[in-house]
Amino acid sequence: MLGKLSFRNAKRQAKDYVIYFITIVMTVALLFSFNSIAVSQDIAELSSTMKNFSKVIIGINLVIVFVMVWLINYTMKFMLEKRSKEFGTYQILGIEKKDISNMFTIENLMIGLVAFVVGTCLGIFMYQVFSSIIMNIFAQPYQISIEFNWKAVEMTAGCFFGIFLLVLFNSRRKIKKTKVYDLLYADKQNENHHIKNAKGNLFLFAVSILLFLTGLWSLEQDFGNPDYMKGKNTTLAIVQFILGIYLFYISISSFIVKYYLENKTRKYQKNHLFLYRNLTSKINTMSVTLGTIAMLFAFIMIGGNVALLMNGMLNNEIEMGYPFEIMVATPDADFSKYKEFIQKNAKVTAMYEYQMHNIPKTNLYKALEGSIFEGRSYEGFDNVLGLTDYNHLREMLGHKTVSLKEDEIIVQCMKTAEKYFENYKEENNRLELVGKTVTIKEIKSEHFAQVSFNGYTYCIIVPDRLLEEIKQMDLKIEMSHYDGSYKLVAQTEEPTTETFYEELSNYILCDEIEQTAIIDGIEQNYTLNISLGNVSTRGHRVNFTKSFYTIISFLAFYLALIFVMATATILAIQQLSDSEKYKYRYELLKKLGMEEHEMKQIILKQLLFYFCLPMLIPILLSIPAVLIVGQIFTVAVTIEEILKNMLWVIGLFIFVYGIYFIATDVQFSRNI
Amino acid sequence: MKKILKVEQIQKYYGNKDNLTKAIDDISFDVEEGEFIGIMGASGSGKTTLLNCISTIDTVSSGHIYLENQDITEIKEEEIAQFRRENLGFIFQDFNLLDTLTIEENIALILTINKVSEAKIEQRILEIAKKLGIEGILKKYPYQVSGGQKQRCASCRAIVNTPKIILADEPTGSLDSKSARQLLEMMEEMNQNMKATILMVTHDPLSASYCSKILFLKDGKIFNKIQKGEKTRKDFYHEILDVLALLGGDTRNVR
Repeated sequence: MLGKLSFRNAKRQAKDYVIYFITIVMTVALLFSFNSIAVSQDIAELSSTMKNFSKVIIGINLVIVFVMVWLINYTMKFMLEKRSKEFGTYQILGIEKKDISNMFTIENLMIGLVAFVVGTCLGIFMYQVFSSIIMNIFAQPYQISIEFNWKAVEMTAGCFFGIFLLVLFNSRRKIKKTKVYDLLYADKQNENHHIKNAKGNLFLFAVSILLFLTGLWSLEQDFGNPDYMKGKNTTLAIVQFILGIYLFYISISSFIVKYYLENKTRKYQKNHLFLYRNLTSKINTMSVTLGTIAMLFAFIMIGGNVALLMNGMLNNEIEMGYPFEIMVATPDADFSKYKEFIQKNAKVTAMYEYQMHNIPKTNLYKALEGSIFEGRSYEGFDNVLGLTDYNHLREMLGHKTVSLKEDEIIVQCMKTAEKYFENYKEENNRLELVGKTVTIKEIKSEHFAQVSFNGYTYCIIVPDRLLEEIKQMDLKIEMSHYDGSYKLVAQTEEPTTETFYEELSNYILCDEIEQTAIIDGIEQNYTLNISLGNVSTRGHRVNFTKSFYTIISFLAFYLALIFVMATATILAIQQLSDSEKYKYRYELLKKLGMEEHEMKQIILKQLLFYFCLPMLIPILLSIPAVLIVGQIFTVAVTIEEILKNMLWVIGLFIFVYGIYFIATDVQFSRNI
Repeated sequence: MKKILKVEQIQKYYGNKDNLTKAIDDISFDVEEGEFIGIMGASGSGKTTLLNCISTIDTVSSGHIYLENQDITEIKEEEIAQFRRENLGFIFQDFNLLDTLTIEENIALILTINKVSEAKIEQRILEIAKKLGIEGILKKYPYQVSGGQKQRCASCRAIVNTPKIILADEPTGSLDSKSARQLLEMMEEMNQNMKATILMVTHDPLSASYCSKILFLKDGKIFNKIQKGEKTRKDFYHEILDVLALLGGDTRNVR
């Protein structure tokens, strides 16, 4: 009999908590599909970086578990509250508390089991979609296969039922402590009205604003000069933000009271009185929940933006640093061996060898002083390249050739550094170079492999005659690092593969020297691999970036989706249970003669308030925070791109959140 | 007659030192087996609190309540569920039926809790349902039947287990006059033919006129007691009205 009762209750409960049920199903589906990705052999084999994916996912699952415990625990609290009369009746009929909590446990496990089965089925489908996206990113053919990975099922079931049992254990403890009188007369009990010290709250409000500002300042300390970055400041900023967010939501209600209710004209305007009293009465008890929600939102906002920025940076780096398919730099002028190898193993469309010359450092680096590029140029020397070589490379990259007069030079620099050189040129377009005065003709900023290949951040293009003169000079330049000034670049018909990169690297590294040394008192022979050059290929870099891109964006998506769903569900459940609990308030309004559409407006405003309030601080805070953190990315990403990313993140976020909001609004109007 | 219930000098206080409310202020009375006792009084007179104390929903501040020599104020937390299911039957103003179960299942629930064998359950329900005239709605859910039918179902649930005492809190409070009369006739039937002992809280004189004995409460104290004896229900009804008039008026002048 009790079993039958449990089953029917579970059915009814699932109906009452549709939003909760859907969230649980979606969470299981996401958990399962990501676990499947983590254990999938096909995906791990895509590249070396992808192997780390599974480790990261297991770590992330831990975070998800915490959020889920919070969500499910919160929901069960509401279930118990809503059904207090029912539980009272059970007790009055003489059912043992142990049996009552068993019943509740069975009910919820049944709901959990159904959610698990449905979620896993959905997860199988989602896994297909995700893996086809990943295969697509790596340009691999993908066949849809109903692959059912038991390890993934085990991992998901472990997480999910672990959470459920933990929460149910807590609920059982709560049931054990209840008194039948409290249950039967729950609706007649007075609510604790926390009227807190308004002045104290205003003080807390001010402190929270101060914490936000000092937090941003701490962040600026780290990201403003990345060379002096200390993790301590960032940690401090995070602590300040979290504290600030909680203080803000704890103190906000008295701020609203002060603003709206103490001003008589505002107070009696339209329906303000009912609305704001409704809000402030609840926000006191909800402040910690709102604070937690806001904290998760801030995490999504800042984390999501930084993840997108990293992707943007990596993508830009491919274009910026690897415009040629194959790039080799050696200190040795003889390329014949390598050329032969490359020609044999790849379909080369163009190949060119040239030399970068070093000259004593000019004043050009001063253009970068005070910018993010400070320190990002060679110490003690600058690179020069002859015009003929330069034009040849330009043609290979598909750009127009350029010309120079005898005393003119061109500065070729990274796109993101262009503005600094333009400023420099405007102020002073003459430059001292190996004892001669030349004019800067123009600044060129096409992608030119300037991450220490064709110069570091910039290089100087000189007329051929000047180059000849430089060659004749005996410039004593001390090189503190590996000198690979002889360069070979090539373009190929098809993108280079990762295997080609490995073969070429091995080929260039092939010189081995036998050495003898005394290790631990014993004479031992060992081989030393001597690097004869630096090899980079675009194909290798692209693969690395793709792996990284995939990991970052999938994880960001995964976390953000679950966070948004969990928080929106908590708000929805909270509001919907209030709609039933305080039905009488709205009935009273009806009796007092309020129109239907006015009532709907009040509900809409109330829900908007609850859903928007926890978003307010995260959005306001994330804009300056992301701009500050984004500074370290400005080497590769422009401000416009940062702002574009931010709009994307906020937009996506509002979309998912909006669905929950609409569902809540519809259900709320139905309830009252 | 055997004494079923003995209430001894019970008191129930609410609030704190500065603001003490005496909901029950030293009440004693006995209930004999087969009696149909009514408790009347104005709102706030303490009648529901008294009932809650007897039904173990609430606890007393001092005093003792004995149900067949067992002191219910001293029952341990672990034994209370067993005590309730074996000794008490409840009828509430708002029915407290479980909406996920049919009428029949609602009644059967209490039998299964008491470990009555499956074979006997259906027979027992049918027997009682026939006596109380609800056999036609047994397969329906609570939301499919009227308030009067719901309350008759609740009464059926209260008596099916043959408890020592049935406690009813304003059973007619949510019913129209016709349903109320039907329910009261049914309770009278339960009392007279099925030998049920009933304790009913009400403020409706018509409901109270079905009782065999009535206690009137005022400000937590027993104000008056009347017996039906051999009187007709109509006479008894008028007597109740007289006491209520006394109860409501300024007593100093009347006395």
